[in-house]
Amino acid sequence: MNALNSRTGLLALLAVALLVVPAVVSDTFVLRVMTEAIMWVGLAIAFDVIAGYTGYLNFGHGAFFGIGAYTIGILMMRAELPFWVALPAGGLAAGITALIAGIPTLRLKGAYFAIATWALSRAIQQLALNMEMTGGPDGMRLTAFLNPQFFYYLMLITVGGTFVILWYLLERAPFGLKLKAIREDEEGAKALGLNPTKLKMQAFILSALPTGILGGIYAYWITFIDPSSTLGDMVSDQAVVMVVFGGMGTLFGPAIGALLIFAFKTLFWAYLSDFQLLYLIILGALIAISVIFIPNGLWGTIMRRKKADKIRPERVIEAGVPQEEGN
Amino acid sequence: MELLPQALADGVMLGGIYITIAIAFSLTYGVMHVIDFAVGEWIMFGAFTGYYLNKWTGLDPFLFLPVIFVAYFGVGYLIQPVIHRVLSGTKGNPFLMGLVFTFGLAIMFKGLALTVFGYYSNSIPSMFSEGAFNFDVFGAAVTIPTVRLVGLAYALAITAVLHYMLKKTNFGLGVRALAQHKDAAGLMGVNSRRTGSYVYGIYVGISAMTGVLLGCILSIGAQMGNEYTIFAFFVVVLAGMGYLAGVPWAALLLGLVQSIFMIYFNPSHTLLAVFVILYLILLISPRGLFGKGV
Repeated sequence: MNALNSRTGLLALLAVALLVVPAVVSDTFVLRVMTEAIMWVGLAIAFDVIAGYTGYLNFGHGAFFGIGAYTIGILMMRAELPFWVALPAGGLAAGITALIAGIPTLRLKGAYFAIATWALSRAIQQLALNMEMTGGPDGMRLTAFLNPQFFYYLMLITVGGTFVILWYLLERAPFGLKLKAIREDEEGAKALGLNPTKLKMQAFILSALPTGILGGIYAYWITFIDPSSTLGDMVSDQAVVMVVFGGMGTLFGPAIGALLIFAFKTLFWAYLSDFQLLYLIILGALIAISVIFIPNGLWGTIMRRKKADKIRPERVIEAGVPQEEGN
Repeated sequence: MELLPQALADGVMLGGIYITIAIAFSLTYGVMHVIDFAVGEWIMFGAFTGYYLNKWTGLDPFLFLPVIFVAYFGVGYLIQPVIHRVLSGTKGNPFLMGLVFTFGLAIMFKGLALTVFGYYSNSIPSMFSEGAFNFDVFGAAVTIPTVRLVGLAYALAITAVLHYMLKKTNFGLGVRALAQHKDAAGLMGVNSRRTGSYVYGIYVGISAMTGVLLGCILSIGAQMGNEYTIFAFFVVVLAGMGYLAGVPWAALLLGLVQSIFMIYFNPSHTLLAVFVILYLILLISPRGLFGKGV
């Protein structure tokens, strides 16, 4: 109970700190970096819904981000709709894509899903490169709305809201347990009367929706989108490394992973921009190394160690002390 | 209509080469039960090795095929134990981790290639690059470049060797047993670690060799891997995961789709077409064209 209170207190403190940041920080560059960091936290936790909790790897997470960005770009620039109408449409477009892509692939084993999502993201990138509506390889320019505070708060509210909703659904409601049951043993979950295909579909859409909305905000914020920046493999690759490094199957793990990797990326870009390609090597190596040495991720490893410190059953038995006394 | 015989001929030639990639890829999946996302990168590395060996020595790239096979067999043989370790781990979800691991390898290799080779694309010159055979099929002219014919011959030879290895040798029996049931095969005395290393080595070696051929026929570039990874997946999923007998047909279909798109439609929509076909097949028959996958 005490631990819960201290954690809630910490989170409340963090929320207040994040809310007053624009009032304290006047430097637009810092605000910009923070806005993007918050965005990556949102992308990573959304990715983890399907990858960490359900156990189905989506190697094309960036496709939903790009679909959201392009939906908003097209609706605002071609159909001249206002931002607040276009934004939900971006999330919806990503959700519908997830639904369509999930119908054949989510009935199958995880490997098929991993391939199909990856191929889908490549195909969508090619579509954007060849369509007139999207501006092809030249990309699209959106009317600029230069208000860094607005975008900071919009990103914060979206990601914060996503975090709270996901935390409730995955950690408090039975939905999260059902997804974990599928991850651990799909046949077993079926035997318990769950409908894995339906649940996986819900998880996939739940993962795509916020990603599409974040893509939309990103498009309006950066004002320029093109197939390589929003639909390229960089978004997917980074989401994978953030979640694997931070810890799959938790909400705090991916958030921490996102912040660390994003901080690294920002520093790398600032000081070593001549060696941009090196970044790709480091990302790949980081994934491989995390898999070998910390398969539970940073957060998972720390939490496990904490738990082990508390219980240590082998010590209790060795000392000949009854277990009840130990607790 | 006049171009159709040419499109079909091109498709068969390309499809033949895809057979070699997909069979090796499918074998690896059968033995290790993990999908290797780095398949396209092995092809790319092989292609660049051929390109540079040709540039430095001036000898024909086809002469280097055995050397490249041996070198990349060694690389695969040494890397496989790491993948095996990830897959047999007890922490986390080993299957997911295996997928993530090869995905990480693929990103790393791509970054490495872009750093070393840059963004330009090139092609490998060969003694077969110049000549071509001209045929006349029902009044339509069909041109088959010699290099593509050599590619097809190579593909048939590799397929024949693999077929012989799988069906006639003790090693092949072990591989098939492992694909069927890992534990039972182990009880019958099949060393799953060593067999896995050999199979992975063979797969990496064949992919690298095929990369040289693709470099002679089409082109090479540090970003070529992505496309071939998708193609390898396409063939294996279409054939039915783990169903080897379906691979040649699926590979030929892929070659035909690609050549028909190159001639009749916009070639830059090939990936999209490949994906749509893959999607429809998965929707109608999730276990591949023949319904025999796992």
